[in-house]
Amino acid sequence: MTEATAADRPAAAHVELPPMLLAGTALLGLWIVVAIGADWLAPYGPLEQDLSRTLQGPSAAHWLGTDNYGRDVLSRILHGARLDLQIAVLGVLFPFLIGNLIGLLAGYLGGWTDIVAMRLLEVTMAFPFLVLVIAIIAVLGPGLGSLYVALALVGWVSYARLTRAQVLVLKSADFVSAARVMGLGAWRVMWRHLLPNAVTPAVVFAMTDAVLVVLLGSALSYLGLGAQPPAAEWGVMIAEGQQFLASAWWICLFPGLAIVSLAMGFSLLADGLAERLGTRP
Amino acid sequence: MNELLTVAGLAIDVLTREGPRALVRDVGFRLNRGEALGLVGESGSGKTLTCRALVRLLPSACRVVAGKVTLSGAGDLLAMDERALTEVRGRRVAMIFQNPTSHLDPVMRIGEQIAEGLILHQGLDRSVARRRSIELLDEVGIADPAHTVDAWPHQLSGGMRQRAMIAAALACEPDLLIADEPTTALDVTIQAQIIDLLRRLRGTHGLAVILVSHDLALVGDFCERVAVMRAGRIVEAGETAAILAHPRHPYTRELIGSQPRLVPPGHYFPVSGAPAERAPRVKLGGGAPLLEVADLVVTFQRPRRVLDLVRRRPATYVRAVDRVGFALASGDALGIVGESGSGKSTLARAIVGLVTPSAGAIRLVGDERETPRYRRVQMIFQDPLSALNPRLSVAQTLTEPLIVHRLCRRAEVATRVAALMAEVGLDPALAHRRPRQLSGGQCQRVGIARALALSPAILIADEPTSALDVTIQAQILNLLIRLRAERQLALILISHDLEVVRRVCERVIVMRHGRVVEEGPAERIFAAPQAGYTRELLAAIPGTRGFSGGTPLAWQGVA
Repeated sequence: MTEATAADRPAAAHVELPPMLLAGTALLGLWIVVAIGADWLAPYGPLEQDLSRTLQGPSAAHWLGTDNYGRDVLSRILHGARLDLQIAVLGVLFPFLIGNLIGLLAGYLGGWTDIVAMRLLEVTMAFPFLVLVIAIIAVLGPGLGSLYVALALVGWVSYARLTRAQVLVLKSADFVSAARVMGLGAWRVMWRHLLPNAVTPAVVFAMTDAVLVVLLGSALSYLGLGAQPPAAEWGVMIAEGQQFLASAWWICLFPGLAIVSLAMGFSLLADGLAERLGTRP
Repeated sequence: MNELLTVAGLAIDVLTREGPRALVRDVGFRLNRGEALGLVGESGSGKTLTCRALVRLLPSACRVVAGKVTLSGAGDLLAMDERALTEVRGRRVAMIFQNPTSHLDPVMRIGEQIAEGLILHQGLDRSVARRRSIELLDEVGIADPAHTVDAWPHQLSGGMRQRAMIAAALACEPDLLIADEPTTALDVTIQAQIIDLLRRLRGTHGLAVILVSHDLALVGDFCERVAVMRAGRIVEAGETAAILAHPRHPYTRELIGSQPRLVPPGHYFPVSGAPAERAPRVKLGGGAPLLEVADLVVTFQRPRRVLDLVRRRPATYVRAVDRVGFALASGDALGIVGESGSGKSTLARAIVGLVTPSAGAIRLVGDERETPRYRRVQMIFQDPLSALNPRLSVAQTLTEPLIVHRLCRRAEVATRVAALMAEVGLDPALAHRRPRQLSGGQCQRVGIARALALSPAILIADEPTSALDVTIQAQILNLLIRLRAERQLALILISHDLEVVRRVCERVIVMRHGRVVEEGPAERIFAAPQAGYTRELLAAIPGTRGFSGGTPLAWQGVA
């Protein structure tokens, strides 16, 4: 009469979170708090120059030293968190939305939609990622806006491929057939039945992608294509400090560590999510 | 002296995060040379784990915590080191599995897989081993063994693969063969062939067999002794004939009572060992016509390989459904019977509109604009878990069709959902569970409730119970029988299980290779089958020996 199920066990059984998920969330949470509270946390303004105190090493007054304009490195790193988090989020969000939409439509509708989407995807993938991004930014003119556009135009392919593959598997699942037999429209089947079940690998990949985008954003800023000086952005800071590397190492080192820690936060989150959701990126 | 295997006090734990949990407790039995023992129980009863423990092939999270397994001439298998155990496995004890596909190495030729054991255990050289492999393939009834020996596993059918696995298992002339659900994945006629083969091999090799199965009828046919397992313990054991005739434990009675062949037509299936109750009578004949299928053809294009395109070979097509026609009136119960590949599921999918027919007509009576197709015909699926969206709770699943098709006002949705759940016998407390937190039977009830939400006139059930245990199968079939009477539903029941169809439906269609082989009243088809294929199907049903002491007697025994 009775069948045992997992849920028949005591309801109090709490869900254990993977330690990597907790560590990643904590690290990212820290940077989000810093980004929000930069105005209060930073001892100086990010653009505040003091030409009498240039290139000073770490001290009580300037914990992480000052740069060649006498700007406080710590304050610039704290304010830079805003820009770098913004790059990570927006640089992933647009490709994520576009890619999932295209993957969903191509996978479910098939036929011409699929053929056109897949050829477009192959053309995009035929170019090296970085070269294509730099080319688009060069055409649009340097700046963060161009960076986001370039990432959206190039980055969607990964999401589209992941989600399309999932949709192709799931669309023959019985619950999708059941939804169609119930007379639900194509949009409803895609939106409510397919997407929530197909999106998991894309979500996990988005976290990995955020790492790449943070590094890419910094690298492009370093090359002068992303955030423009004097903006407080970690890549810009490294670029500006490069010529003083031998005499004033702190100008480059600390923003570099900031980039590494933010990237690690996303990376841990990706691994933790993959474990929690039962998929590997 | 004559004793081959003794198992005593076997206990197995699984290690979980909350600590060890008991899966098997105090299991003991004896097996003589040449004897067959049936291990019967439902999924999760521990029968497979017990067998795997005998050859120490448990999943890594499981541990044997107590017990002794003594094989005559080898000592305690549980205390043996791995090297000595390798000698026992294959040479003394062999095992075959439910799914031959996943237990044959896909990148090794059939002959090599058989020869492997011969070379390892008997030290034969390659050419001798190959000759012996061909002999073995011949012995297990594979036509043209000289060619099959060089075939890859994917080139063989399911039944052939199972034969090949048996040949590999028997290569070293073991004393004991452990067969874990060897025919569950196979069609009924193939099952009969495999069981015949095992019976013959027992005779020629003096082989002892442990047959693990959920199918009591099959065990009744094949085994002299049977042990019934439940929740990790043996609840009853003894001579098969005695246990089938006079079961003592209530669970054994329930198991026997749930066998469709023991239920008189027009009755509910007995649940919890209670006698079969008469189902409410359904007025037969003269119902308003609902559905007419005429000369229906569904074709699929065979996948084309690149080479075909290069050589400009025309695309080839398969007729999954080939000129099928029938009519259905309100209150009818029509059974569609056939083996895998017979086109019965494709037929169902065409009726509900999931597959587009290539020719012929499906006429649903009534105005499409007034009552669209989904309000007239609904479907229940084979795998109850995969038929539910894993992200939606029971309540959400049942709410969706009501809201989307505006079948009731928003304020009434909650009461409608509760009423639907009550109608299919679901505990209201389950409303917020997700499919993974439900049992198979509960999932199937949700699937039925979802179909009923649209109040269809026709309900198509595609193998609704083949993924479920036999006692749960009885409950789900009872639900369908009751709903049919209460809602005046026209039911189309698709099944490979003739006994189930016979109990539920008055009319039966037998399909093979997409065509209708025979059609008529269920009782007539079972009593006097006309087509050769139908006779073959009926003869293949297990249970001809075990329950043969006169069926009426057996179902009185249940009561």
